[in-house]
Amino acid sequence: MIRFLLKGVLRDRGRSLFPFLVAAAGTFLTVAFYGYFLGMMNNMIRSNANLRHGHLKVMTRAYARDAAQVPNDLALTGVGALMAELDREFPNMDWVARISFGGLLDVPDEEGETRIQAPVAGLAVDIRTAGSPEPGLFGLQKILVRGRLPRAPGELLMGDELALKLGLAVGDEATLIGSSMAGGLAMANFTVAGTIRFGIRAMDKTGLIADLADVRRALDMDDAAGEVLGLFKDGIYRQERIEAAALAFNDRYAGRKDEDLPVMQTLAEQPGMDILFVWIRAATPAIIFIFLLAMSLVMWNAGLVGTLRRYGEFGLRLAIGEAKGRVYRAMLAEALMVGFIGSAAGTVLGLGLSWYLQVHGIDVSSMLKNFAFPMETVLRSRITPFSFVIGFIPGLLASLIGTAIAGRAIYKRQTARLFKELES
Amino acid sequence: MIIPKLALRNMLGAGAKTWLNGAVLSMAFVTIIFAQGLYRGFDAEVSKTLIDAEYGGGQYWVEDYDPYDPFTLQDAHAVPAPPLRALIDAGRAAPILIVQGTLYPAGRVLPVAIKGIDPAQRQLSFPTNVLTASGDGIPALIGSRMAKSAGLAVGDTVTVRWRDVRGAFDAKDLEIVQVMTTTAQTIDEGQVWLPLATLREMAAMPGEATIVVLDRDASPVAAAAGWSFQGLDVLLKDIKDIIKGKTIGASVLYAILLFLAALAILNTQLLSIWRRRKEIGTMMAMGVTRGRVIGLFTFEGALNAVFAAVVGAVWGIPLLAYLAVRGLSMGANQGDSFGIAMSDTMYPSYSAGLVAGTTLLVFLITTIVSYLPARKISKLKPTEALQGRRA
Amino acid sequence: MSRSAILILIGALAASAAAFAQAPSAEEILDRVDRNAVPGSKILVSEMTIHGRRESRTIRAKSWIEGEDKAFTEYLDPPRERGVKMLKLGDRLWTYSPDTDRAISISGHMLRQSVMGSDLSYEDMMEDRTLRDAYEARVAGDEAVGDRPCWVLELTAKSGDVAYPSRKSWVDKERFVVLKEERYAKSGKLLKTLEAGAVGRVQGRWLPFEAVFRDALKEGGGTEFRILSVAFDAPIPEALFTKASLRK
Repeated sequence: MIRFLLKGVLRDRGRSLFPFLVAAAGTFLTVAFYGYFLGMMNNMIRSNANLRHGHLKVMTRAYARDAAQVPNDLALTGVGALMAELDREFPNMDWVARISFGGLLDVPDEEGETRIQAPVAGLAVDIRTAGSPEPGLFGLQKILVRGRLPRAPGELLMGDELALKLGLAVGDEATLIGSSMAGGLAMANFTVAGTIRFGIRAMDKTGLIADLADVRRALDMDDAAGEVLGLFKDGIYRQERIEAAALAFNDRYAGRKDEDLPVMQTLAEQPGMDILFVWIRAATPAIIFIFLLAMSLVMWNAGLVGTLRRYGEFGLRLAIGEAKGRVYRAMLAEALMVGFIGSAAGTVLGLGLSWYLQVHGIDVSSMLKNFAFPMETVLRSRITPFSFVIGFIPGLLASLIGTAIAGRAIYKRQTARLFKELES
Repeated sequence: MIIPKLALRNMLGAGAKTWLNGAVLSMAFVTIIFAQGLYRGFDAEVSKTLIDAEYGGGQYWVEDYDPYDPFTLQDAHAVPAPPLRALIDAGRAAPILIVQGTLYPAGRVLPVAIKGIDPAQRQLSFPTNVLTASGDGIPALIGSRMAKSAGLAVGDTVTVRWRDVRGAFDAKDLEIVQVMTTTAQTIDEGQVWLPLATLREMAAMPGEATIVVLDRDASPVAAAAGWSFQGLDVLLKDIKDIIKGKTIGASVLYAILLFLAALAILNTQLLSIWRRRKEIGTMMAMGVTRGRVIGLFTFEGALNAVFAAVVGAVWGIPLLAYLAVRGLSMGANQGDSFGIAMSDTMYPSYSAGLVAGTTLLVFLITTIVSYLPARKISKLKPTEALQGRRA
Repeated sequence: MSRSAILILIGALAASAAAFAQAPSAEEILDRVDRNAVPGSKILVSEMTIHGRRESRTIRAKSWIEGEDKAFTEYLDPPRERGVKMLKLGDRLWTYSPDTDRAISISGHMLRQSVMGSDLSYEDMMEDRTLRDAYEARVAGDEAVGDRPCWVLELTAKSGDVAYPSRKSWVDKERFVVLKEERYAKSGKLLKTLEAGAVGRVQGRWLPFEAVFRDALKEGGGTEFRILSVAFDAPIPEALFTKASLRK
C-alpha cells in the first residue's frame, strides 16, 4: 500500500509536485529564518565580544575590580603560560591577549620638535603574528580608511578622525608617551600604517590599535597583558559552556586571597551586557513562535489546496467502490509522504544556506554607504541542534492537518458531487 | 465596476483558504509593524534617554571643549555669550561647568569630571534638585555605576581634590546625597554632580560654564561668539547609526516572512485558476477580454491583502496598542552597550508612515504573486477553457 | 629625581653653623632656607623609591642644577629608564628618551601628570619660585621633630597661582633644614606631607639625605628620596643646558 502510494507520489507529479514544493519551501524558509534570527541575535553579542569582552575574559582580581580605569600596573603576568594552558583546556576557543592603555601622542614637526599632542586610548592586539584571529575579530581590513594593516614593528592604526585632527598621514611618525606597567615613563615611536573607522565617535577621535608585541615593549609589559580573551573559533556564544568554564577556572583559585590571581568572567557578566542577554532570551521564543505559526498556516493552506484539487479524483474513486475511510487514509498517507519528503528537502536546503551564512556570512557593507558601524555589516546565520527539527516537524504536521481538514469533504459530500468536480 | 464586486464576492466565497491567507498575511503585517515599531521605540527610547539626561535640545560648547579630550577641560570654561546668557536667565537653558578632579574614596584615587549644574534647572531630567539639600558638606549626586566603582553609597562622605582656575590645589569633602539609577552612562561613569554655584566658587570661575544645554524645543541662537552649537543630529549620530544597522539586519527576517505569505497567496491563486477554467472560458466566450480576466484574478488575489489588512487591524491594533502603552518589560536592570543607553522596558512606537508603508508593501507583493499565475490565463483558448481543459 | 624634591632637600640646607641666638623673624628663617636652596650650582646623584600597588621601584638619577632656571637630569637606573633625560630651561621642560630619540615638550596639561609614577607632578618640578617669593610666613611656635628643636612656620601663598595655598614647615632651629612639611589645599585640607630622615653635612652645608613625600589623601607608602652624593659649586658646562645635549 505504502509502496503503491509512494509510486503515485513520485510518478504523478501533477498532484504531488506542488505540495512537495510548498512543504519544502516552507520548511526551508523556517530553517533559514531560525538560523538567521539566531545569527542576528549572536551578531548583537558579537561586536561586544570581538571588540571588548570576548566570550570569556581573564584578568587579575585587582584589575577586574578597577577595570574601568585600565590599571595596567595590576595586569596579568606570565601570560604565555596562562594562554598555553587555556589553549590546552579549551581547544575550540581562540585565546588572545590584549592591553588597553591610555597615553599621549606627540606629533613632531620637521625639526622633530613637538608640534601637537593629543590624549589617546590605545588597544594592543596581536596583529602581526601569522594566523592571529585579531585582525578578523576587529574586521581591520574592512574598517581601514587609509593605508594598510601594520606589517613591520612599530606600526599602528589610528582612528581616521584622530589622524585628521593631528594632521598625520600614512607613513608619518609619532611618539606615544604613556606609563609603563611599573608606573614609569614610557615613550615609543610609532609609524602610522593606516587609519581606521570604528564607527563609535569616542574611539574614532581618540582610538588607536597597535601590535601587542610593540606595546609590550613600549610599556615594559613583557609576557603581561591587561586581559586575556577567549572566543569560540566559530564566533558563537554558548552561554552554558562558558559559564561552566568560568566556574571551573575560578574554582581553582577559590579560597586564596592573592589579588594578583587570575579571575575568569563571562561576557554576560561584563558591564551592560546583562540586558542584552535578557532581551535575546525573551525575544527569541516570541519571534520563533510567530514565524512557526505563520509557516504552519501556509503549509496547512497548501495541504488544503492540494486536496481540494483532487476532489474529482476522490469522487471517481468513491464511485468505483473504494471505501471512504480507505480513500481518506490513503490521502493522509500521501500527505505524510509528501510532507516528509518536502520537509526533509527543505530542512537540508535550509541547513545548507544557514551553514553557508554561518561560515561565510553576507557582507552588506556595500549596501550601507556612509554607515558608521562596520562591525555590524556582515549578516550571519547560526545552526543549533534545534535547527534540524524546527522546520521539519511543523512542515510535516501542517501539511497533514491541511489534508485532513480538506479531506473531511469525502465524508461530508455526496459522491456524485465530488464526481462532478472531476468534470470541472 | 463589475470586476471589483465580482472579485470581492469570489474571494469571500472561497472560505477557509481566504481565512488562512488572511491570517498569514495579517501576521506578516502585524509582525513587521510590531518589529519596526520596536526598533523605532528603541530609537525613541534611547534618544529620549540621552536627550533627557544629557543633550536637551542641543548643546553649546565653549570653544576648545572636546569631550573626548579631558585635558581640554583645563581651559574650556567661559562666561556664556550674551545670547546664551539671555536664554539661561529666561530659564530656557542650563549651563554646566566641568572641572577635572580627583576623588579619594577610601584612600583610592579616581580621576573624575566634577560637573556643576543648577539644582533648579529644567532642561535635563535627572534629580538635580537633591543638590539643594543643605548639610555641612557639599551635596553631591552620582550615578549607580560611579557609586559601584567608587564604592560609595548615599550618606557617604568622600574627599575630592581639584585645582582652581589659577592652578591652586583645593580639596573638600562631598556628601553623597543621592545615587541615581540612569541608563545614560554618560552622566554617570567617572563623574560627580555638584550645585553649579558651589563648583563655580570652588573653581573660582564665577558665572562660567563649559557647556550650555538648551530647552528641548529650543532652536539655536543666532550668534554666540566663542561657543559652538552641537545639534541633536550630531550628538545622537552614533546611536542612530547602530539602530539603522540593526534595522537592516531585521529586514531580512521581514523578507522571509513576506515570502512565506506570498507562497500562500501563490498557492491559492494557482488553485483557483485551475478550478475555475470553465468560468474563465465562459467569461472569454462572453467577450470579456483576456486582460480583464487577468485583471479580475489579479484583483481577487490582491484583495487578500486588503482582507489581511482588515483582519490584521482587528487583532493587531488592540495588541500593538496594548504593547505600546504597557511596553515590554524584561525585568532586568538597565544596561548599556557601547555606552548606548538601553532600558529594560521598551515601548514600541508606530508611525503612520510605517503602517502605510508596510500595507503598501504587502499589497504590492500580493498583487505581484496574484498576477504571476493569472498570466497563464492569457494562454488559455476560450474553447478549451470552456471544456475545462488545462492550459 | 624631581626638581621639586631637589628644591626641598636643598632648600632644607642650613647656612652657617652660627645659629641665631634669639628667635629670627619668619622671613629670616625662610630666607635662610631659600638661600641654601639655590646656591649657584650643584651636581647630585639621588634615588627615588616609588611604592606601587604591586611592587616598589627605585630610580636613580644624576642632576646638574644651575640656579633657579636651569636643570638637567639623566636617569641612571633601572635599565629601562637609563638614558632618559629631562631639561628644564626657565618655564619650559623637555623629556628625552633614547628609544625614541625625541625631545618631547612637556607643557600644559602634561605638567600636571605624575613624574615616573611618583607622588610628584612635573609641575612640582617646575616650581622655581623661592618660598620667600611665593609665601608670606609667620612663626607659629616651636616644636621638636624627633630630637631636633624646630621653628614651626605657617606659610600662606602671596598669590592665587601657587599650587599649595598654604604650608606648615618645621625648620630645624640650628641647621635651617626643613624636617617636616605639610601642604594644604585652599580649604585647609591636608594634601601632602614631607618628612625628612637623616640630615648630614656636605661642604659645610646641612641637608637631609632622606625624605618621604606622601599624598595625604591616598593610601600607600608614598615616595622616598635619598641623596647619594652631592657636590656644590661644581662647574657645569653651559652647553649642558641646551636641547642638543639631550641627545648626547
